[in-house]
Amino acid sequence: MKLIVFVFSFCLLAQAASSQQIKVTGEVTKPLTLSAADLAAMPRSTAIAKDKQGVAHTFSGVALADIFAQAGVTTGRQLRGENLAKYVLITCADNYQIVFSLAELDSSFTDRVVILADQMEGKPLPQGVGPFRIVVPGEKKPARNCFQVTSIAIKFAKE
Amino acid sequence: MGGMLVKYGVGLLAAMALLVPGNYTLSHPYTLSYPAYYGNRINTTDDNPLTVEGVALGRRLFYEPRLSVSNTISCGSCHQQSRAFTDSLRFSVGFDGTPTRRNAMTLTNLLWVRNFFWDGRAPSLEAQASTPLTDPHEMGQPLERSAVKLKADGGYPGLFAAAFGSDAITGERIVKAIAQFERTLISADAPYDRYLRMEYRFTATEQRGYDLFFGAPGRQIRSAGCGNCHGGPRIVTETYHNNGLDHVPADSGRESVTGMAYDRGRFRVVTLRNIALTAPYMHDGRFADLGQVLDHYSEHILYSPTLSPTLRDTASRPVLLHLTGEEKADLIAFLNTLTDSSFITDPHFADPKINVR
Repeated sequence: MKLIVFVFSFCLLAQAASSQQIKVTGEVTKPLTLSAADLAAMPRSTAIAKDKQGVAHTFSGVALADIFAQAGVTTGRQLRGENLAKYVLITCADNYQIVFSLAELDSSFTDRVVILADQMEGKPLPQGVGPFRIVVPGEKKPARNCFQVTSIAIKFAKE
Repeated sequence: MGGMLVKYGVGLLAAMALLVPGNYTLSHPYTLSYPAYYGNRINTTDDNPLTVEGVALGRRLFYEPRLSVSNTISCGSCHQQSRAFTDSLRFSVGFDGTPTRRNAMTLTNLLWVRNFFWDGRAPSLEAQASTPLTDPHEMGQPLERSAVKLKADGGYPGLFAAAFGSDAITGERIVKAIAQFERTLISADAPYDRYLRMEYRFTATEQRGYDLFFGAPGRQIRSAGCGNCHGGPRIVTETYHNNGLDHVPADSGRESVTGMAYDRGRFRVVTLRNIALTAPYMHDGRFADLGQVLDHYSEHILYSPTLSPTLRDTASRPVLLHLTGEEKADLIAFLNTLTDSSFITDPHFADPKINVR
């Protein structure tokens, strides 16, 4: 009986995870609503980051740059002039927010690949962290490695 | 360019409206004053600019019992200035004696709040204010009915005209005026502010409490991590967390807004400014005093699937601080420096019928 309840609740949780989506909005030619399946079908990248105890883990997911390519964000050769005044506002389920400048995430400016991760060591992200999180490899402070991302908005600094 | 023209056109129309004979009123912009360290990420709307007259009207409406169906309670009944605009009850009591579902929140520094209520379901003070006014068990009166009652009072049409340019009394204007008043409830004169302005030195116990609260990197002092959520000069980051009150949350909290299972039992982090005045604590007022709150974070955080990641270790176990008695006393000494006695005695925030300033 316990096993049945366990399996049942696991199915419910799995269903909930699959219903969670990420919105990509703002300065895009094609707004996106990405599901776990959408991300699984996109080009995959990995990134390494340390946890609270200082243990390094390998995360996999989709490079923000690849999400931008699909959404039609001004990257690469288009990332010049006024487009350099664009930034990316990431919002998490707990209302935590962080920003990157668009240039920080662009392969024509940096070799660092920031990813929207959906797996850690090949498994779904742990409770309270997933289904989707940001991993910024090599960042000294982990404060932008934020959890439970719900929205990615590309915006113009207007001042 | 098109946008500019539209804005200009609307401005011109508004100016013309003010010049219509019999409708001629000019209200005066209200200048909000707050310390630079509070930052300017304030939550205001273009369609409800603060004016001196609008704030004055809002203050009067805030203390107006006729906005309740029984003419017995006002916003100020459950949001009492002397308690940093709370009421000392676990649950407030509506006009019909029914207790509210959650604990009345402080109205401290609402100017910076972006999502109102414990579950963050209202994006503006305008959207928030109509809820307690019209809830059938709180003040219990439709806004249209409130407007009719106020029209019958000779004093109000002139106040609405001064605030909004015409003497029409509508539900929307009632709510807008109250929101204007609430945006002026800024608390920035606590001992902690004087500390930030370098006009006050902490006592030894306050300093130890401060160091524990925020952590003191490089000084070999352990951090209780309070500042992770209650951080910055406003002593709050506006996020939602399940702080481990229950294994199975009785109140689903943020989940009821988003429909997401990972939001179960999550509530909005609140400012700790004036916290010594706003007992009892938590969304359900379960803790009678600050000692019980610290006992919770020190010894009683409970696991549930949505427990905040900041309160659990990498193996998902709740992190218990096991604070000593002295550490708890130090933290409370620091929390007491957040009490702003000028905020709770400022005559501008008091019932204008009692205090005419």
